[in-house]
Amino acid sequence: MRKKRNWWTFTVLPLYAFTLIFVAGPLVYMIALSFASNREGYGVIWRFTSENYKRLLDPVYLGTFVQSLRLAFSSTAAIMLLGYPFGYFMAKLSSKWKKRMMLLLTIPFWVNSLIRLYGWIIILQTKGALNGVLLNLGLIEKPLKLLYSYPAVLTGMIYTLLPFMILSVYSSAEKLDWSLIEAARDLGANAVQTFFTITLKLTLPGLLSGMILTFIPSMGLFFIADILGGNKIVLVGSLIQDQMTRGSNWPFAAALAVVLTVLTTLIIYIYRRVTHTSELEGLY
Amino acid sequence: MKKMTVKKLMSLLAVCLWAVCLLSGCGGQGEQSDNTDGKESGSESAGTDDSREMVLFTWEGMFPQEVLDGFEEETGIQIVYSNFDTDETMLEKLAQAEGGDYDLVIADDYIIETVVQEGLAQKLDQSKIENFGNINPLYQGQFYDKEDAYTVPYGAGIPLIVYDPELVDFEIESYEDLWDERLADSIALTANYRVINGITLLSMGKSMNEEDVSVIEEAGEKLKTLAPNVRMIQDENTQNALLNGEASVAFLYTSQVTQVLSENPDLKVVYPKEGLGFGIMAGFIPSNAPNSDAAHQFLNYILEPETGAQCFDFMGYYSTNIEADQFLENQDLAVPDTVTEGEIVQNVSEDAEAAYNKNWTEFRAACD
Repeated sequence: MRKKRNWWTFTVLPLYAFTLIFVAGPLVYMIALSFASNREGYGVIWRFTSENYKRLLDPVYLGTFVQSLRLAFSSTAAIMLLGYPFGYFMAKLSSKWKKRMMLLLTIPFWVNSLIRLYGWIIILQTKGALNGVLLNLGLIEKPLKLLYSYPAVLTGMIYTLLPFMILSVYSSAEKLDWSLIEAARDLGANAVQTFFTITLKLTLPGLLSGMILTFIPSMGLFFIADILGGNKIVLVGSLIQDQMTRGSNWPFAAALAVVLTVLTTLIIYIYRRVTHTSELEGLY
Repeated sequence: MKKMTVKKLMSLLAVCLWAVCLLSGCGGQGEQSDNTDGKESGSESAGTDDSREMVLFTWEGMFPQEVLDGFEEETGIQIVYSNFDTDETMLEKLAQAEGGDYDLVIADDYIIETVVQEGLAQKLDQSKIENFGNINPLYQGQFYDKEDAYTVPYGAGIPLIVYDPELVDFEIESYEDLWDERLADSIALTANYRVINGITLLSMGKSMNEEDVSVIEEAGEKLKTLAPNVRMIQDENTQNALLNGEASVAFLYTSQVTQVLSENPDLKVVYPKEGLGFGIMAGFIPSNAPNSDAAHQFLNYILEPETGAQCFDFMGYYSTNIEADQFLENQDLAVPDTVTEGEIVQNVSEDAEAAYNKNWTEFRAACD
């Protein structure tokens, strides 16, 4: 490697500078801020305190972490159940249909995710599309209160993050050597046995990276809970936003952000230890 | 070989999608402030002739277009309208600009108190504002500007309860009635934590600006028992919940009350008997405003009776200009006598502030 060093090496300098200024810099600032004191009214006093972290131990604020984890786990589980078969069967399509499916999966991303979430409001609201259909079919007599509830938030999370699971399972299933499955069936394994011994094991990397790709954003996507949950489900993200704006307590917001970052890093670390992977499938 | 390329493309696509999704999520939250960025680049490019430009920094939709156009025609000064979505964002940006960049800011009373304390506002030159005498004295000498040295009031708001009598089978008369169990899962609330804490305190016969932490905690306990009745909490377009059938009762800001009544006049407005919360919006000139002359001219212009009336009719806020009252199309916006008893939410000590904050988070969590 050393021998190859030439002027091109310097082209990576902007990347280092970018990382230092926009990644490491804010991170250090955030950690420093989390130990500063809040000034009455507005602003920050640079006086060391651990008060912000002590305040975090209050059951109210710990509860928001529990709520965030609960939502992240339940949406990841649901996405896994829906996305895995989707990605798997998509890989079995003819190449013409693969391209078409890929296009269909991509089209929604041409519209801002916030606007798509407002679409869900139109579907779920009391005088909305879903209630209209159910009423007309005679399945219900009174409109259901679907919006501003936990299931509504979960629906929004699944809707937003599902494509990531599908794509990573797909890229894994596409590489699958189908002759192995044929061999297993020839040797007498039934469909279920084949699935668990061959298919699942070989597509596991895709499934696991799909889980990471959905779990991590779902820890932070609080605007879904705000829009579809009517602000009633308090996630760490929305608490941070509250403290940055209305609450006007930046050090406390920074402490919350530090703990959230540490928590997420910890989960990735555990993931790596358990799965012995260092790269995410479909991401290299 | 070909397969490899397809796979690489796929991976690239996945990464891009991921990035786009995350970015658009962030973009959504910062939506309202985007205009400000537009303004900044705009003012930079047109920065050669500053005296012909006035940067107005306030919420979206605070002025009818005719009024803005009228000013530009009369004076030749171009108005650059820049938005913020909360008072706190305004304070942040103003502090970062060290009182510069903006020529005139219109914001809420309590934040102006902080702005003045921080030295981010300049004293008005009243000789440049001939129409200063048109201001309704009711709104002068308030806590945020006791000498009326910094501000010109521009509209007053009173958050009120509005309900649909077809869906609610009893008469709501007070804040206390919001706790009635017949209202289960049917109230839409605005998201101002101090105001919601405030009406809880009012329902207990206390002040909205209570400083005693034990009393605030007591209010927090009471507020939590409101949770089963809460359908949703939202600051923007809360009134829509009443119109689209999501909620039968709503606690709304004045502009939302006006808007919802114009869409459905059958709705009932409640002036709660415990007393009113009360808020004033006012304009001030930042300490290092690039063009304070233009800002003075503009303040004088909006204080003219006809112009003022046009503005209040447009915004749907109570008129703060006594000479403008007679020109109002919507006479409900002229101050009724009862309003004098309103209490303004003020800044409180840090301990009290922390307690109010905690109440609010506890309350929201209890609503789930």
